[in-house]
Amino acid sequence: MHYPWWHVPLLTAPMLIAIVSVAHVYVSMYAVGGGLFLAAETQHARRTGDRAYLAYLRDHAKFFILLTVVYGAITGVGIWWTIGLASPLATETLIHAFVFGWAIEYVFFAVELAAAFVFYYYWDRLAPRTHVRIGWIYAGAAWISLVLITGITAFMLNSGRWPQTHAFWDGFFNPQFLPQTLARTGGALLLASLYVNLHAALRIREPGLLAVVARRAARPGLLGAALVALGSLWWYAALPASARLALVGAAALNILVMVVLGASGVVLAMLYLGPYRRPGWVTPGFAILLFCFGLAGVGAGEFVREAVRKPFIIHDVIYGNQIWKDEVESLRGRGYLAGGVWTRAWLAARHPEVVTPGGAVDESALAALPAEARLRIGEVLFEHHCNDCHAARAGLSAVAHLAGGWTDEMLRQLVLHPERVQFFMPPWAGTLAEARLLQEYLGSIAEPFPAGLPRGDQFKAEPGAGGRADAR
Amino acid sequence: MAMSLIGPDNPLGHPAPYWFLVLFKTLGFTLHILPMHLWYAGLPAMLLLRRHGGEHGRRTADRTLGAMPVAIAWGVNLGIVPLLFTQVAYYKVFYPATILMAWPWLAIIGLLTVAYYGVYAYALGLRAGRLAPWRVAAGWSAALLLIAIGWLFANAFSLMANVDGWRGIWNATGFAGAVLGTGLNTADPTLWPRWLMMLGLALTTTAAWVVFDAAVLGAGETPAWRAWASRFALRLHALGAAWFAVTGAWYVFGAMPETGRDALAAGGWRLVTALTAVAPGLVWLAILIVARRAARAAAGAGPTPGRAAGILTLGAQLVVLALNAVSRQVAQNGELAPHLDVAAGRVNTQLGPLVLFVALFVAGLGVVVWMLRQAAAAAAGRRRAGEEAR
Ligand code: HEC
Ligand code: HEM
Repeated sequence: MHYPWWHVPLLTAPMLIAIVSVAHVYVSMYAVGGGLFLAAETQHARRTGDRAYLAYLRDHAKFFILLTVVYGAITGVGIWWTIGLASPLATETLIHAFVFGWAIEYVFFAVELAAAFVFYYYWDRLAPRTHVRIGWIYAGAAWISLVLITGITAFMLNSGRWPQTHAFWDGFFNPQFLPQTLARTGGALLLASLYVNLHAALRIREPGLLAVVARRAARPGLLGAALVALGSLWWYAALPASARLALVGAAALNILVMVVLGASGVVLAMLYLGPYRRPGWVTPGFAILLFCFGLAGVGAGEFVREAVRKPFIIHDVIYGNQIWKDEVESLRGRGYLAGGVWTRAWLAARHPEVVTPGGAVDESALAALPAEARLRIGEVLFEHHCNDCHAARAGLSAVAHLAGGWTDEMLRQLVLHPERVQFFMPPWAGTLAEARLLQEYLGSIAEPFPAGLPRGDQFKAEPGAGGRADAR
Repeated sequence: MAMSLIGPDNPLGHPAPYWFLVLFKTLGFTLHILPMHLWYAGLPAMLLLRRHGGEHGRRTADRTLGAMPVAIAWGVNLGIVPLLFTQVAYYKVFYPATILMAWPWLAIIGLLTVAYYGVYAYALGLRAGRLAPWRVAAGWSAALLLIAIGWLFANAFSLMANVDGWRGIWNATGFAGAVLGTGLNTADPTLWPRWLMMLGLALTTTAAWVVFDAAVLGAGETPAWRAWASRFALRLHALGAAWFAVTGAWYVFGAMPETGRDALAAGGWRLVTALTAVAPGLVWLAILIVARRAARAAAGAGPTPGRAAGILTLGAQLVVLALNAVSRQVAQNGELAPHLDVAAGRVNTQLGPLVLFVALFVAGLGVVVWMLRQAAAAAAGRRRAGEEAR
């Protein structure tokens, strides 16, 4: 549309966003929860003079820095890289709406970074009180950065009053803001608890110390689980209607939700029975298992969070296929090809005869093109209008399979009214002639009706006719 | 019929006036390049120095290599600032350029993660006093990867200004009107001199850093080493400045489109351009003075150059970098001028959030400075305690 569309074979470009985001969230949540843990526990260990525990915390801080400052920071930048590539219009819009939100978040990143280095590198050179204070500065800055980014990502799921007002604070304090902040804070505490258990189980040889660490780490984890449960219920209540229906209506989402619930239940039970009640249970195997269940739950949760936004990428503002909601009307009159900067240039270069000097597309000339050219233009329409969510012939939600065996009439209805077929598809944003080209293209790639299966029209009796005969 | 590939304005308008956006963009970039130069040309230079620089060379290299992980952390962190403001003010060219080269651009993330851990592996080995061969290999691989990453950045940022080159890449790597994202800007004659120029400039920054390190951070080292380090910095700087001059001339006179050159020569910018060209020479003179004084001090004939000398040298280099950041912005705006007016467009200032940002920026800076002073005091206290014990 307004930007070149990035064709990623099999996966589709937006799927890369989900992959990078999950890879980042696994560590960024720990960067927050682990920071709180380190600050609180360093304070505790220093106050009680527990040298063994303090030594362990120092070892943990090194692991923490190596993971969060390198991997965490770079995958965070990686999300930004990916959204700009796969979802440029939405990224551009988020950045125009919230540039100062991000700029403020940057300030907290910088504070976080300085605090992390000073906290770790000057561990035993700082006065104990100063050291603890710097730990809390880290934890505070990290938690605020979580709050800030949550304001922006929650906005994408429910933009509240913003579409009417375009006001920064209306967007930031959207209906999803508080529930997601709560859930993410809980997730951060919970995940940090799993990280500590894992690290401790692998590093600590002395069973007494391991028991202390495991039990102390379990407490914020249990608190986190409660926050996650509360936040998730509230999250559900604050979902827009489309997202709520998608959650229960889409099979893939049903499965993911089951994964989230199942994994969370297992984590909670293991955390309570193991580290909290019987820390002696904590062995490397136990901790790895616990950790994996945690990752499964968080990962599936992130996928759900991304998926329920459909058909929008920014709720009520921009559709998943990089079209403004307000733009659909004019594109239906003017044509999708003529409305997009890159599609228009493509058409003007390949088929100058259908583009008027003013940049408009001549409908009848389009319809009169030879079949081969029509199929190619149909493919261009598919790439730009559908490839955000569907691969074509093979791959993720490939349309060739989804529309396998469909009749021409079904395809026609699909293209003209995608939202009637599945409400999480954006409406058609082109002319009738363009719809026809896309329909022809879909017909050319869709799998045929499976051989050997009987079709309804092979039966002689019309539906209903036999029933009447019997009754008579 | 060739149609423009520049998209429409974002209907929200700019959240702040153009000058504010571009100010933070250039300021952020200036701060990004300072640490970036240390790992860009400084890392391979220091790895070589450690091998072939004798005892003093080894000392110099160890000090800088030990600081490398922290430099990367800050360089990456500071890179976020110009990236953010680029996406606000230059979105119409930033997104198309990076999408055309999506895979190489995305590869930066993976390569950087590997390079960063490589640098850590090296630095941790150095700290422990045991540089196993695999750690040395990791250090060298990181150095090469970082140079390659710099080349990818040069691709992206030159492609942003090379709007006329987009169509060729699109045709070569297109798929059904979309792009495969496998393009690069190698057909653009500005790519190579631009990339090389930055490497030359990076050598001069590394030299200024060595002076700073010897005069400020390395106050506890011997006068002989400090003299050696400043002399080494002088030669490194000369090499970098000559390199910068040659590739810079190639870039501006041999490769840059006329609109960019015109912008550099227009009105008051002419002065800035001239300063950008000669400023590295002034830093070289500053290093010369420091090196002379350090040599005299090592011979017992005067005081060692103090903290002020180091701070001034690095500060002067920061001015050089700022001049470069401004000039490249001027040239870029000039190159883009035939396609879009970057300063035009509706402004819809978000005053409340803007003020909050500036206030928190100042407060955050205060907190960071407070923490660094705690660290410095702790380190000084430790040193004093050590001296008393001796
Ligand atoms: C915002 C994302 C999105 C876009 C854009 C989108 N779809 Fe879909 N579509 C979906 C989802 C989600 C489903 C549910 C099935 C699945 O993929 O799991 C679906 C289902 C389908 C199905 C199967 C319907 C059924 O009832 O079995 C077809 C066929 C289809 N889409 C075609 C298209 C075509 C053609 C376009 C472009 C005009 C398009 N889609 C655009 C998200 C999208
Ligand atoms: C992931 C973190 C990084 C971010 C966010 C970042 C950001 C940026 C930005 C925004 C610019 C352009 C500034 C402008 O034109 O105003 C830039 C330029 C540059 N960066 Fe970075 N950077 C990062 C990491 C790196 C790394 C690891 C290197 C490796 C050496 C590097 C090398 C360069 C170079 C060489 C340029 C100049 C390119 C040119 O214009 O020719 N950067 N960076």
